Amino acid sequence: MTETLLDIAMMHADNLIARAKEGDQNAQGKVVQLWYKRIYNFGYKFFLDHDMAMEVSQKTFISMCKNLPALQDNARFKSWLYKIAVNYCREEARKKKGNRSLSFDLVWNKDAEDSPNWESSSQRYDNPESQFQQRELSDVLQEALMELNVEQREVVIMKEYEGLKFREIAEVLNISENTVKSRMYYGLDGLRKILDRKNINKETIGYGL
Amino acid sequence: MGYKASEQDMMAYLYGELEGKEKEAFEQYLLENAEARADFEKLKQLRSTLSHVRDKEVIAPPIFIGDNKQRPIWTIPYLKTIVSIAASLLIVILAGKFAGLQVSFSDNELKVSFGEQLPVSPAEITKPQLSLTPNEVQEMINTSLSQQNNAMQSNWTEAQKKLDASITKNLAASSAKIDNLIKESSLASQDQIRQYVLAMQTENTQVVKNYMQLSSSEQKQYIEGLLVDFAKYLQQQRNDDLQVVQTQLKSLQQNTDVFKQETEQILTSIISTVGNKNSLGVRN
Repeated sequence: MTETLLDIAMMHADNLIARAKEGDQNAQGKVVQLWYKRIYNFGYKFFLDHDMAMEVSQKTFISMCKNLPALQDNARFKSWLYKIAVNYCREEARKKKGNRSLSFDLVWNKDAEDSPNWESSSQRYDNPESQFQQRELSDVLQEALMELNVEQREVVIMKEYEGLKFREIAEVLNISENTVKSRMYYGLDGLRKILDRKNINKETIGYGL
Repeated sequence: MGYKASEQDMMAYLYGELEGKEKEAFEQYLLENAEARADFEKLKQLRSTLSHVRDKEVIAPPIFIGDNKQRPIWTIPYLKTIVSIAASLLIVILAGKFAGLQVSFSDNELKVSFGEQLPVSPAEITKPQLSLTPNEVQEMINTSLSQQNNAMQSNWTEAQKKLDASITKNLAASSAKIDNLIKESSLASQDQIRQYVLAMQTENTQVVKNYMQLSSSEQKQYIEGLLVDFAKYLQQQRNDDLQVVQTQLKSLQQNTDVFKQETEQILTSIISTVGNKNSLGVRN
């Protein structure tokens, strides 16, 4: 999985973070390059919106560069970074609370779906049909994620897609590890029900692939 | 079987974060409990479904971190102080305006008054008594000026005289000195010239004498040399001539010798032929 690979990269990048902490702009730039995709995807899954994800990522990395010298333990960089991202996500969510009642079709950025990013990301599938299937399934799953409440959603994203350990998520959210596991359990339970309702199961996924 | 797996354990096991005895216990629990096993299978299934969500590719845009040193104007230090000073000044000015404060300075007096200025009765103004009339003042000025002028004049003439005297004295002294110097210098120069000329003459005669002596001796030597050379030359010439004459004589002698021999040979040959003919004729 990319997360583990990234984790390995991050282990080697301890030195990079140390340099970034000292104000080395080159190192800071590299840290941003290394983590931008992760934070963006976290934001995207949180909002299911490209612009919001970009906004949150930008804010997160600007804040990261500014506050990096205050980071005490380099090993906790990952949870520290996600903490910033989660805080910005919550802030943006509060700002957009008025829009929360809108249906997904309106909140969901159709332009983002048609953006060249999608095209480039999809080129690894050589079968156009499976490519379409894959995209549709991905969209449906993301929509299902959006139906979870914020607390469950952020835990599920961090655990399932960002590969944080329960201990790290507890650090990010400033709650106990058991609470994180509970939220994860109920989050997964909720997702299962949502997907059942959408008739997404082993058979429908396999169909057409 | 006292162990009852919790949701937390289920999650930890699902994501591989259960270790050691806890893991073993949970696995045992799953083996024994079909319901939990089914639940776990469903969760695993769900996880594989969720893994179909693809990450969106995104390129990190450049992040510009400004120094943000530019602070908003209201946070500039001392602004409070400056504003408060300005405000208090404004209040003072406004209060003055509303109270009709008037401040004036005239005739050596500072007036601070509120409200309308009351007309001041002329009686109240006590004009200072003039103890001196302008004419008197003028006179005083004139007298002092003339005194001053006189004093200056006298001072000036005195100074002039002193200067003149000193200048003439200096001139006289300096001219006398210069005359003496010139006289001395002229006397000295006549003597020197005489001495110089004498010295020149003696030197010249010496030089000429020396030259003559030198040249005469050189000439003598030269002529002697010349005579010797000429004598040598003459000797040589005579020797040469003698040799020539000798050789000539030798050759002449040789010639005569040769001639003698030839005649002798001819004579003998003639004699022999004649002898032969005589013998032959006898026979015949």
